[in-house]
Amino acid sequence: MSVAFARVGRPALLFVASVLFLGYVLAPIAWMVSSSFQPESEITSVPPHWIPHAPTAENFRAIFTTGEQAVTYETRRQGDPATGHFIPSTAKNLLPSMGNSLIVALAVVVLNLIVSVPAAYAMAKIRFIGRSTSVYFMLTTRVIPDIALVVPFFLFIHKLGLLDNLWSLIITYLAITVPFSVFILVGYFESLPDELDKAARVDGCSRLQALLRVFLPLALPSLVAVTLFTFLTCWNEFLLALMFTQTPASQTMPIVVASFASDFTISFSFINAAGVLAVVPPVILAIMFERYIVSGLTAGAVKG
Amino acid sequence: MSARSTALRGIFGHPVSGYDQRSGMLLLAPMMAVLLVVAVFPVVYSFWISLFDLKLTRPHRVPFVGFDNYVKVFHDALFWSSVGRTAMFTVMAVSAIMLIALLMALLLNEQFRGRRFLSAMLLVPWAIPYVANGLMWKWIYDSGYGALNGLLYQLDFIDKYMVWLGDTRKTLPLIANAFVWKEVPLATILLLVTMKSIPADLYSAAKVDGADVWRRFFHVTLPALRPGFTLVMIYETMMAVRHFDLFFILTEGGPAEASHVVAWEVYVESFRRLSFGTGSALAYIMALVTFLLAFSIIRTMGRKL
Repeated sequence: MSVAFARVGRPALLFVASVLFLGYVLAPIAWMVSSSFQPESEITSVPPHWIPHAPTAENFRAIFTTGEQAVTYETRRQGDPATGHFIPSTAKNLLPSMGNSLIVALAVVVLNLIVSVPAAYAMAKIRFIGRSTSVYFMLTTRVIPDIALVVPFFLFIHKLGLLDNLWSLIITYLAITVPFSVFILVGYFESLPDELDKAARVDGCSRLQALLRVFLPLALPSLVAVTLFTFLTCWNEFLLALMFTQTPASQTMPIVVASFASDFTISFSFINAAGVLAVVPPVILAIMFERYIVSGLTAGAVKG
Repeated sequence: MSARSTALRGIFGHPVSGYDQRSGMLLLAPMMAVLLVVAVFPVVYSFWISLFDLKLTRPHRVPFVGFDNYVKVFHDALFWSSVGRTAMFTVMAVSAIMLIALLMALLLNEQFRGRRFLSAMLLVPWAIPYVANGLMWKWIYDSGYGALNGLLYQLDFIDKYMVWLGDTRKTLPLIANAFVWKEVPLATILLLVTMKSIPADLYSAAKVDGADVWRRFFHVTLPALRPGFTLVMIYETMMAVRHFDLFFILTEGGPAEASHVVAWEVYVESFRRLSFGTGSALAYIMALVTFLLAFSIIRTMGRKL
């Protein structure tokens, strides 16, 4: 009985469980991708076409080329005679908004590392009065809900004249990313032996030199993890961007995509295409750097 | 005893060199400056605003009203009903997350071919933006052409297409489902780590005692997972209570206030009614509740250190 189970039952059970697992995780995404390639006549079919019968890249072509051609009421109608609401004139905003998201995310990553790395090193490796207070302080700031920051941020940003400016996002995203980065880095620095620090000091390194020459190279995996978390947080952030950006000059990807999704005259086929483009960069990063992400998440949450 | 325990317990009693004191504070200074400006200042400022009747529709007259905004919030029936909806959303979402994450972690804890692929795919929902998650589910739930209707219709569970998000009884569970899908991966990863730290001896001892699979699960695995469950529960509760994005994208608080949760109320009060005073009071109440939850997080983590 038990041998038979090991031969047939267990693999069968694992196979069924794996299929259910993958179905749950990937089916919604697969449906989004499939929908993004369906022409208007297919996307409105009942029951739905799970796989497009006549796939079209029209939505993607529109997103990548509408910058050159004006979309008018007539061309929209032409685009789809059945419904008359196919591709919005704001389609051309999607690529620039992805550029904005990229600029903000990269700027925050750099500033975040400059601020977090020395702080984490000091908390993990230097004995000084105020260290434990700073650890508690950092843990406390980590849990402030972003929605509680929105109104004061708004007034603050308004006073500085930074509304509708990418700087408003760069500054506020530091608030939501720095505590988490420090948290992960402290855990990692602590796992490196104290003797390294002592040896560097004996060799005549200052604290800063010990950090830059000895610890940074060793901490590379955690730096990768922190960079990824910060990048993804910025790329995905919605609430603050919704408040502080008003025109395409500063709107980030989530804002433009949400504006498509809330306009009921826009075809779902097009909305899904925008969704696919929003999803591709984070998914590629996550799969490429899976190990770093998993070890970073577990270190940050469990060990820390 | 990790090095962290000394960091948390404080260092009094150890000699501190002047150089260490200076360099420590210097290295810490940039982070402290940033957090003071972008985290502490807004929290204090927010409390200050909540004491005034600040309306953007009337920017030149801002009377001091003390705690009137809080009194107003506590007397608002809509506030209490939204607290109820937030609580319901949180309970539904967090319990579903823990159940699904437990099943997924049990699977990933086994050794079999394809396990690496599954754990890589697990990161997909975690990585994507909430906006994309929202529009994806909005389309799945679509009453005209959506996948949920299509699937149930083809499987003969329903004989005609139904209204999903527009049905006030189904709205909150459906939004919770979209939230759960995106939050399950992190919970799975956290539970899996706890699972891997269970000593194998415990299982062999239970086997020797004649415990079958179920007994081993209920008497060894589940109790050993408690710290993981606690962490997931507290973290996901905090995330669910403050969640805003899906409510904006899927329903905008509707239909007929069926998804009008506290986070949505903060947004509507501040940015649609432009009443920053009461909006701040609301946000402050929310932050305080979150701080209470956070306090328990730090305590649970402190116990483990």
